[in-house]
Amino acid sequence: MSIHNFSKVVIVAKDEWRYWLRSKLAMTVLAIGLLLTLSSVVVTAITMHELSHARHELQSNAEQSFVDQPDRHPHRMVHYGHYAFRTPSPLSTLDPGIDAYTGNSIFLEGHRQNSAMFADQRQGTALTKLGSLTPAFIVQTLAPLLLILIGYSSISRERESQTLSYLLAQGTSGTTLIVGKGLALLSVVGLIIAPLAVSALFTMSAGESLLAVTSFVVGYALYLTVWVLLILLASSVFSKNSGSFTALAFVWILLCIVMPRVASTSASTAVPSTGKIETDFAVKAELRKLGDGHNTNDPAFKQFKQSLLEKYNVNSIDELPVNFRGLVASESEAKQTDVLNQFAEQRMQAELKQTQVSRYFGWVSPMVAIRSLSMIVVGTSIETHHRFLRETEQLRFDFVQGLNKVHIEKLNYQDDMNRNANAAATQKARVSADNWQILQAFNFTVDSANIRAQRSVPAFLQLLLWIAVLVGGIKFVGKRLS
Amino acid sequence: MNYLIKQFTREWGFLLRQKYVVVLLLCSLVLSGFAIYSGLSEVSEQQQTIERLKAADQSDRANVQQKQNDAGMLAYYSFHLTYSQPSNLAFAALGERDIFPWKHRINLLALEGQIYESDAQNAELAQAGKIDFVFVISALAPLVIILLFHDLFASERTSGRHDLLVTTAKSYFALWGARITVRFVALIVCLMLPFFVGAFIAGASAFKVAYVSLLCIAYLAFWAVLSVWLGKNATSAPRVASSLIGLWVLFAFIIPILGDLAINKTVHSPNGGDIVLTQREAVNDAWDLHKSTTMNAFIKEYPALAPYVDMSSEFEWKWYYAFQQMGDLKAAELSQAYRDSAAKKYELAGTVSWLSPPLLLQRSLTRAANTDSVAAYNYEQQIRDYHQQLREFYYPWLFYKGDPTKAALENMPRFESTTQTSK
Repeated sequence: MSIHNFSKVVIVAKDEWRYWLRSKLAMTVLAIGLLLTLSSVVVTAITMHELSHARHELQSNAEQSFVDQPDRHPHRMVHYGHYAFRTPSPLSTLDPGIDAYTGNSIFLEGHRQNSAMFADQRQGTALTKLGSLTPAFIVQTLAPLLLILIGYSSISRERESQTLSYLLAQGTSGTTLIVGKGLALLSVVGLIIAPLAVSALFTMSAGESLLAVTSFVVGYALYLTVWVLLILLASSVFSKNSGSFTALAFVWILLCIVMPRVASTSASTAVPSTGKIETDFAVKAELRKLGDGHNTNDPAFKQFKQSLLEKYNVNSIDELPVNFRGLVASESEAKQTDVLNQFAEQRMQAELKQTQVSRYFGWVSPMVAIRSLSMIVVGTSIETHHRFLRETEQLRFDFVQGLNKVHIEKLNYQDDMNRNANAAATQKARVSADNWQILQAFNFTVDSANIRAQRSVPAFLQLLLWIAVLVGGIKFVGKRLS
Repeated sequence: MNYLIKQFTREWGFLLRQKYVVVLLLCSLVLSGFAIYSGLSEVSEQQQTIERLKAADQSDRANVQQKQNDAGMLAYYSFHLTYSQPSNLAFAALGERDIFPWKHRINLLALEGQIYESDAQNAELAQAGKIDFVFVISALAPLVIILLFHDLFASERTSGRHDLLVTTAKSYFALWGARITVRFVALIVCLMLPFFVGAFIAGASAFKVAYVSLLCIAYLAFWAVLSVWLGKNATSAPRVASSLIGLWVLFAFIIPILGDLAINKTVHSPNGGDIVLTQREAVNDAWDLHKSTTMNAFIKEYPALAPYVDMSSEFEWKWYYAFQQMGDLKAAELSQAYRDSAAKKYELAGTVSWLSPPLLLQRSLTRAANTDSVAAYNYEQQIRDYHQQLREFYYPWLFYKGDPTKAALENMPRFESTTQTSK
């Protein structure tokens, strides 16, 4: 485009702004839009900071109370267990995603994989089922509506008031007109995104990477560009304001309100997932074969016993230099964990597959695309929760095996066997509290920005496809306009 | 009468010739149909899951009972299924069942350590929300009504027919009333028809169906009247629609969001984590406490068991389960406060919903379908009661009767869900 044409585009855009400044509706809409975005950014930032602070504190409290436990039998500590808390990612101040929908704390103990507890949504008011005051919701759902209210008449208005033919006759090409109007709308997009971008940049001080911040802002810019293009297209195609408005409102309802829910409903219908309770039956059946780690006489450990006797070249378990009960506990924990992990992995894969189905709907609704893009980039998608589950499982396994090692090496087998004889024997079957230091500090962080960016590629492609198709459509219409 | 029919037939003909009206009506029908279909399949999936769980639960416990004889071991390894059946109206209002658990397995250990475990569904899908009939009526239908009714007058004005029509029409009703009625009835049929079919399939009671229909029609009428009234003197259809959609945004999003913020600021609920921590500390400390401390506290709750608390070894199951219960007792106050605050929030949300018709409808319908958080908390209470029954069943065996006979195990309390009988 030549400089001359470009200056014409700018003039058109300026004119559009002049029109908006004089229109009560446009100003009200703009003011409401900015107010909503700003307040959502502030409110969510405060909420997520409080959450993050609270969970950090809970985490260090949990660690403290673990190491503060008195001298005990090491296996008691295996059942005393530990808590892990999912601290939110820095960018989650802009899109809390599933944070409130999954439990944010998990109880870690021997022999079991518990599910996360205390989803905040369950203590909620159920008022925010349709939408919440988060920047993600405001920009994904309401911003397009505001753009429609401001822009539905951008071209059709000129046609309805018969200024269109006049403009075209004066040498402004249809394309120039559309591009100019588009530029004006894009500047509104800039206004809406600015608070998000500023807030996103702030998260870099909390350790978020530039890549994630950029993907986040660019993603939202692309999304709102899709809407600008849709508005321009509808406004050029329809000869009347009312036609353009009705069509756009209809499209908005379909893409922003209906499609996300159709996506999730279809996903759960298409890929039914078995709940934890149900798979637990299969897990239990599998585990039964492994034997009870509390019971050294369980026939399942016969072979293990034999191999130990050979290894240490002794005749009976009493002669072993280490504690046999500890060894059995450690051995059975390792085997159990294999089984548990295998089932947990299956469940996560099924959940991922379900989510994938709902994400495919991004090809037909840009709202679904930006929704997944945003949660993935921010690190509040289902993948992050799975990461939390995997990391806490590692934490669980490490401290349980650490305690089992203490059990094996620092507790005499005879003392251990006699532990229930009388109060003095119970007292003797203990190890020093110093051993509780084996607990590793836990600090949950989301996947690296690179991994998150890679995951978001399909969603970016979805948005880009929308843009390409719409630009093609507008070009076609723009030529016919002239 | 003939006169009326003539008016309606004429308007019906007009309606069929307006393409976008037909498209909107068809979309409503399809969406409502989809919502009902997916609701029905979700509910049947839930029912099937419960049936499968019941069978698996039964055989799992039978297995344990076959292997174990000792009362303490039996109680430790036996899990008991609890569940909350979806009501026969749940297909229309799936409600909070994707957030709250509706199935749970418990054993005789401290309940506070188990009850917050949840077998929830895919969180990312729950966050997007599901499309159910309540959603279609409360959130989508108003938008369809706005699109259908906002330009009744304005479109005639812009095309210059308005004054002519008004002066030539026999009566006000003959012109506008007939048009409004035909559109409204057509929309109601499109939206409600799938619901009636679904209700028939699910076997919902006629009374409930009538109640739901009444609420829905009243709600839709509210939006229709609002749209017609605001559009009456307008010349610009988009302007009318903008303010109507603005009202919708206010009712559906802004008021609930503000209400949510306000309620969460006023009602402080204890941190859920504190409940389990308290319970776990109490249970773990009990290992190191003097046995009589635990037992003395225990027999305050169960004076009848007082003669049987002496112990002959450093570990006995009766003591183990006694301190489990004492752990629950220690956390009881916090746990009650947690539930109370949730109930308080729900109650306040009810007040807020009087300012927001979509919320009011959602609340009324999920209440009728017994799928709201009240239902979820009732279910939680059922689990608590059932756990208590199990304790009372096991304690005599643990304390003085010795190992339970197989015949005695037959009489173990069973979880009978009361949710299925519609209230």
